[in-house]
Amino acid sequence: MTEYDYEELGLVAGLEIHQQLDTATKLFCQCPTRIREPEESTRSLTRYLHPTKSELGEIDDAALEESMVDREFEYLAYDTTCLVEEDDEPPHRVDREAMDVALEIAQLLDMNVADQVHVMRKIVIDGSNTSGFQRSMLVANDGEISTSEGSVGIEDMLLEEESAQRVEETDAGVRFSLDRLGIPLVEIGTKPDIRSPAQAREAAERIGMLLRSTGQVKRGLGTIRQDVNVSIADGARIELKGVQSLDDIDDIVRNEVRRQVELLDIRDELNERGASVGDPQDVTAVFEDTDSGVIRGALDSGGVVQAVRLSGFDGLVGREIQPDRRLGTELSDHAKRHGAGGIFHTDELPAYGVTEDEVAALREAVDAGPEDAVVIVADDPETAELAIEAAAERAETALDRVPEETRDANDDATSRYLRPLPGAARMYPETDVPPVTPDESEVETPELLTEKVDRYQSEFGLDAGLAEQVAYGQRWRLFEDAVDRGADATLAAQTLASTVTELRRDDVPVAHLTDDHFRATLELVADGELAKEGVPELLTALAEEPGMDAAEAAEAAGLGSAGEDEVRAAVSTVVERHDEQVAEEGMGAFSALMGECMGELRGKADGDVVSDVLREEIQKRA
Amino acid sequence: MNAGDRIHVERGAQAYEGVLLPSSTPDHLVVKLDGGYNVGIDREDATVEVVETDVYDVESAQDEEGTSTVEFDEALPTVSLISTGGTIASTVDYRTGAVTAQFDAEDVLRAVPDLAGMANYRGRVVANILSENMTPAVWQDLARAIHEEIEAGADGVVVMHGTDTMQFTASAMAFMLDTPVPIVFTGSQRSADRPSSDNVMNAVSAVAAAKSDAAEVMVCMHESESDDRCALHRGTRVRKNHTSRRDAFETVGAEPLGTVDYEAVREGEPAAAGSADEGGVTFRREHAQRGEIELALHDELETDVELVKFTPGTDASRLAALDDAAGIVVEGTGLGHVDTDWIDVIDDLTDDGTAVVMTSQCLDGRVCDRVYDTGRDLLAAGVVEGEDMLPGTAKVKLMWALANTSDVADTMSEPLAGEIQSQSRPWT
Repeated sequence: MTEYDYEELGLVAGLEIHQQLDTATKLFCQCPTRIREPEESTRSLTRYLHPTKSELGEIDDAALEESMVDREFEYLAYDTTCLVEEDDEPPHRVDREAMDVALEIAQLLDMNVADQVHVMRKIVIDGSNTSGFQRSMLVANDGEISTSEGSVGIEDMLLEEESAQRVEETDAGVRFSLDRLGIPLVEIGTKPDIRSPAQAREAAERIGMLLRSTGQVKRGLGTIRQDVNVSIADGARIELKGVQSLDDIDDIVRNEVRRQVELLDIRDELNERGASVGDPQDVTAVFEDTDSGVIRGALDSGGVVQAVRLSGFDGLVGREIQPDRRLGTELSDHAKRHGAGGIFHTDELPAYGVTEDEVAALREAVDAGPEDAVVIVADDPETAELAIEAAAERAETALDRVPEETRDANDDATSRYLRPLPGAARMYPETDVPPVTPDESEVETPELLTEKVDRYQSEFGLDAGLAEQVAYGQRWRLFEDAVDRGADATLAAQTLASTVTELRRDDVPVAHLTDDHFRATLELVADGELAKEGVPELLTALAEEPGMDAAEAAEAAGLGSAGEDEVRAAVSTVVERHDEQVAEEGMGAFSALMGECMGELRGKADGDVVSDVLREEIQKRA
Repeated sequence: MNAGDRIHVERGAQAYEGVLLPSSTPDHLVVKLDGGYNVGIDREDATVEVVETDVYDVESAQDEEGTSTVEFDEALPTVSLISTGGTIASTVDYRTGAVTAQFDAEDVLRAVPDLAGMANYRGRVVANILSENMTPAVWQDLARAIHEEIEAGADGVVVMHGTDTMQFTASAMAFMLDTPVPIVFTGSQRSADRPSSDNVMNAVSAVAAAKSDAAEVMVCMHESESDDRCALHRGTRVRKNHTSRRDAFETVGAEPLGTVDYEAVREGEPAAAGSADEGGVTFRREHAQRGEIELALHDELETDVELVKFTPGTDASRLAALDDAAGIVVEGTGLGHVDTDWIDVIDDLTDDGTAVVMTSQCLDGRVCDRVYDTGRDLLAAGVVEGEDMLPGTAKVKLMWALANTSDVADTMSEPLAGEIQSQSRPWT
């Protein structure tokens, strides 16, 4: 990937990190924060949403664009959701636990907590909230984190409710699932202090580490989402939504900078050429006998072909601006937004069944010369008209600037047009919930994961790798608890970090293992009733039959720790089997025989004990 | 420093800049920050600097310019929209932070543009109160207003009403008015300032019902939690049975009178062939037909009427204290019973000319004071059996009966407006 001189380009970036909290109940009701499968839904309801004004009398553009489409929303409800999620009961008071976690996070980010927190309604009428708004509150502002390229300011931290999960599109609209709606979510926005892609990633990692240090954030796919705001000096502010993986953040920023640089280049070139955008017109006649599948399909179901001439655009519509994305893709995104399947443009034609003759006829129909490009949309008459207008409008913008917009992050670190930037007017007070006066006095600052890594090394003698594995993993509480109860720190760490991973790779259903399973297993070792070599086998047995008691399972698997007599008997057998070798090599035979002894005892004996006994037995015979 | 000014506030390490909003407490300044969030700042120790005055006119921000210009269409019926306040016509009060009614009927048209094209509208405001503040005096104003509207040619009336006491007002209208056109009450359980408000569907469905041929006083509210159908309840049989759900209103002792299919109404579907109903509006049972009776107003009410609920431990002296009342509706237990200590008090009350009507807190089912001794003694003490009337409806009816009829006992036992169902068929 090309690296630009980001300082010279005037790169300015900021992050918005959304993290679900792992609280017992939701933010505004007593339902559990549990994710369900749509098949488990027990009832459903349908609703419509209507745009409303903020208390300052303004309707937001983005909200209005959403509402233009009259859609029916269906919501799946569960035996773990209630009337509050269904917007048929007023919200309860703000969940204390969620507020406490938010205050902990505020401390970690060195922020000022508001004297009085007001719950707001952020208008969202895409159906993802049954109420038509997301409840959100500003808890703290003005914090700071450090990165190797300088400190990054934290603008604000919001505590809000997670939206409903979109299940699928339906004929009438969209189906959502209510299980996720109302899970507490913190949104942390940085100041636009980030100056390079690498710094963006480092800042995101730092914030992620601080969040996980509370031990009260959810883990797993979709529980943390990153939005990145990017602009360059001559470009525009772009909000990139929904970056799922931290590892992509730097690439997302690089690709966005490239997109803006390329778009500015295209603009300059277009202006040099004196380019302009024509008026859309119907060119259905050109394609009457076409064999192009897409166009044929549209025409056969009563559709039309609309075209617009882009004078002076030849070759530029097909110019790559991000990996595998062209200016044409941008035009296409806008057409898709209005319901079309996409566009064709002359930089990529003839192709898709459109012949050279048809391209020539098309050019002629719209009076396009060789230096011009033509864009077409084939769809039902209404959609085709809206879509070609949208594409033409986007082309017009290309003559002037990089447009400000909200974009959706793709999996390959590129992005696609989503909607205009939301304005600030889509907020009004949530009058059903009284303001909260936060009490910071009872909030303890948690130990950072980085501090934990250091402490695990110095206090428990773990090596750096293992210490990090445990601290950043999901089971550090269990680890500290087990060590408190007398477990060997290294064994506990290995068990909770690497052993589990190894078992998972061997297809052992480790998801069945509970904290109690781990605790009991480590206790058996501490009490000398289980050899540490028997741990993987016992965990396997428990994972396969989670109902079993650890001690029972150990016994059933023949894993009870062998007594010294049993060890000596087994070792003697091995040594006698190899008496010649022992006689010849003496202690030199130790390594070879050790493995065989351990095999004989099949995990029932501690390696240290076996090694002592073996040493003795060899000495006796040597 | 006034609400609407842009201010810069510093307090300790904190600094905020934004528009000052009317605050809900004297201890806090509430500032709307540029991102749209409101935040409360302790007034104490805060230094405030006004950056710019009157950035927003908070008071009138909700007001639209001009009035709606809906053109008169001769092909459409005329529906009178009467507002009494309540959630359907409400907005946020930034002083108290609560939801209050601020719209007049014209505003309702602006708030619910979906109503356009369904009818020609006449707008009228009778009151602007929360429905918990409703009084018999407002019922009288409303009855007179409806009378005038129908006289002036309204083909149907829609009354926007807060949901808390809608059933009482609907009952009052049912007794006070003989109507040749539909009178439809509607409201919303979720305030109009939220995108998910049920006001749009309820109002649209109510107008559809007001165009139908059912010359009844009805309540039109969500039939289920979904935005698919509204139920049409008879005003005298309906009860708000849930604090917050959209489908809080239920007809007690029967299925609702009819249904409005929102989808059909929105798409302007014509009525089924041979049906006199408006498209999308269907009825389950017989109802008074449009134009069947002459318009008449009987707006006198005796307001000195009490509704008393008996529960274990309620001392008879509580009832005795009401000895000045013109009428008392008792909400008894089971078939219509009270503690036997109450019987002598009731005897004294009826002797002194107070009408005493028995209803049941079971709500569903008919009062029958002939089954047990307590009941028989109550009848002997002069109690009138309120049949299967809802207690609240019985109270409104008694207010009306005392002011408009000579034989109160007879009136209270006879169905006048569907409030008594002579046959108990709750499945219909």
